[in-house]
Amino acid sequence: MRDIYKGTLVQLSAVDPDEFSKAFTNWRRDSEFMRLMDSGPVRLGSQKDTQNWIEKDLDDPGPHQHSFTIRTLAENKLLGDIGLYVVNWSGRDAFVGLGIGDRDFWGRGYGTDVMNLILRYAFMEINLRRVTLTVFEYNPRAIRSYEKAGFRHEGRMRKALHRDGKHYDELFMGILREEWLKLEQ
Amino acid sequence: MKDLFRGELVRLTSEEPELRAKHEVRWQRDTEFHRLADSDPAELTSEKKLKEWFDKNAEGGFKPERHAFSIHALDDDKLIGFLVLWVNLIYGEVWVGIGIGERDYWGKGYGTDAMKLGVQFAFMELGVQRVSLGLHEYNARALKSYEKVGFKFEGRTRWDVLREGKRTDTLWMGVLRDEWLQMQQGEPQ
Repeated sequence: MRDIYKGTLVQLSAVDPDEFSKAFTNWRRDSEFMRLMDSGPVRLGSQKDTQNWIEKDLDDPGPHQHSFTIRTLAENKLLGDIGLYVVNWSGRDAFVGLGIGDRDFWGRGYGTDVMNLILRYAFMEINLRRVTLTVFEYNPRAIRSYEKAGFRHEGRMRKALHRDGKHYDELFMGILREEWLKLEQ
Repeated sequence: MKDLFRGELVRLTSEEPELRAKHEVRWQRDTEFHRLADSDPAELTSEKKLKEWFDKNAEGGFKPERHAFSIHALDDDKLIGFLVLWVNLIYGEVWVGIGIGERDYWGKGYGTDAMKLGVQFAFMELGVQRVSLGLHEYNARALKSYEKVGFKFEGRTRWDVLREGKRTDTLWMGVLRDEWLQMQQGEPQ
């Protein structure tokens, strides 16, 4: 049987609050990273803040939330995190959130690889019917990556985002189980 | 659209811990009911403790893993029993438990009607693929009722319960979504 935690460039690992909060505290000082990750105004935070929310987040996640950290296969280096949040069990739909905090690994296929892993996990392990994400108009690299993973454009919230005095759209993308199965063949 | 919480004889309401405890304290004194509905030895618990227990189950508000209902007779709106669905969200399966605490309503189709609502809710609203249940082999009335709803006998655990010095089996039943849908169209199974 295939190892569902291993891709071609990265692997999924359990979130260690200590390790992850240290790494994320560094990553979040990169305002470009935070603007790509999060729709709100960029904020800094102490490691303690980060650790608190991660521990709270991981406390009894139940079947609704599946969080992982992302590591390179080559050096086992921590790059970022990815999580599935099931929002509707009768529709079997989950939101996916992905962040590659380490800039050295941007634009080299690491994000696409981990997205492929999480889609397999969503459809084959959690038995979901669809996976949804939102991405920002000003993040063409992510949009391209999600398209490669099989996501389709489904809609947009116009001018929902504010950056540097300009307004941008927030895009909705989604992939259905049967679409993913077809891609797998 | 049809009212998912209303059948021919009963309607389902949300379980209210206080009301539920008030009824349970009376029902638990009926040892025959206890032996039909439960597999643990009979025990008596104060209304206060029962309420705490039901409160604890309801803690934190709605959880998609558990849907707890009270069963009311439609004619007099009397609370006559309970129905609980436990959902395995990832596998799309429901375990159901039911009990009619009011003896006057035994053997008259109230339980069957309530179970029909429970199974319909599981398939049509929750979207699961199967519903499972267990019962004591000496509960012939329940077996017949579950068969009417569409459950099929799937197996037994032999001798797991000891009652009055006699070993007895637990029976397992299940109904699949497709079977149930076919039944709704009145097609032969």
